[in-house]
Amino acid sequence: MTEATLLELHDVDLQLAEARHPAHATRLKKLGFEPGEPAPLERVRGRLLASVERRWVQHYERALQRYGRGVVGMRDRVCLGCFVTLPTSAAPGSGESLTLCESCGRILYWR
Amino acid sequence: MTTVAVHPVPDSSLFLPDLKLKRKESVLHEMACAAQRAGAARDSSLLHETLLRRERWCGSAIGKGVAVPNARSLAITEPRLLIARFRRGLDWGASDDVPVQLVLLVLSTSETSVDAHLERVARAIAITRTQRNRVKLLEAEDARVVAALLREVAQ
Repeated sequence: MTEATLLELHDVDLQLAEARHPAHATRLKKLGFEPGEPAPLERVRGRLLASVERRWVQHYERALQRYGRGVVGMRDRVCLGCFVTLPTSAAPGSGESLTLCESCGRILYWR
Repeated sequence: MTTVAVHPVPDSSLFLPDLKLKRKESVLHEMACAAQRAGAARDSSLLHETLLRRERWCGSAIGKGVAVPNARSLAITEPRLLIARFRRGLDWGASDDVPVQLVLLVLSTSETSVDAHLERVARAIAITRTQRNRVKLLEAEDARVVAALLREVAQ
């Protein structure tokens, strides 16, 4: 539950970053879209945040504040946030797909 | 490979020539599943949810029978352009009330910057700006014809 919610939260934050920026809204309007206000996305964010385990929230918010993104993907054991290759032992246990990057502290999505 | 370029439709798995669905939610679900089958997405459920949320925040119908849904998401593994067609057209909430017959789904990885993603969206929209290109897309017999048109527009 936490895992799926955290991934959704990440995608909401990507959209929010776009929605909060007036220049992006202007660009979208020029392209023919009609972007709404960020407030509904803020409410979704609050709802998702409330249902994520507290330990993950702390890691997530810290990484988000520091780097602008709380979760990053992995490719060939390379963290796509800091591009450090992680040891095989850093892989999550069976049935899990999230760990922390030992180098930068971002949450890693291993799928 | 660049994250800015709109990728030509490289194979038939990214071209859905005649969808029979009647609701945009179902269309986005089908396209998210197609993206996963083609290896462009790792999680079609997350992608579908992200597309729906974006649709609620910023409707993707741009008029003249075209919709350009798009997403930056952790669910996406490779930047891709998917194209779906509807012979009859379906209600996508366009301001000109024209039923949508062409859907161009622009997918960017979560590492892509907003500017680069919007540039990819702009290029996808540019393909459909002229009536000539819209007709070509609607009448294309297969993915190869669509890919040739995308290459022509990109030049």
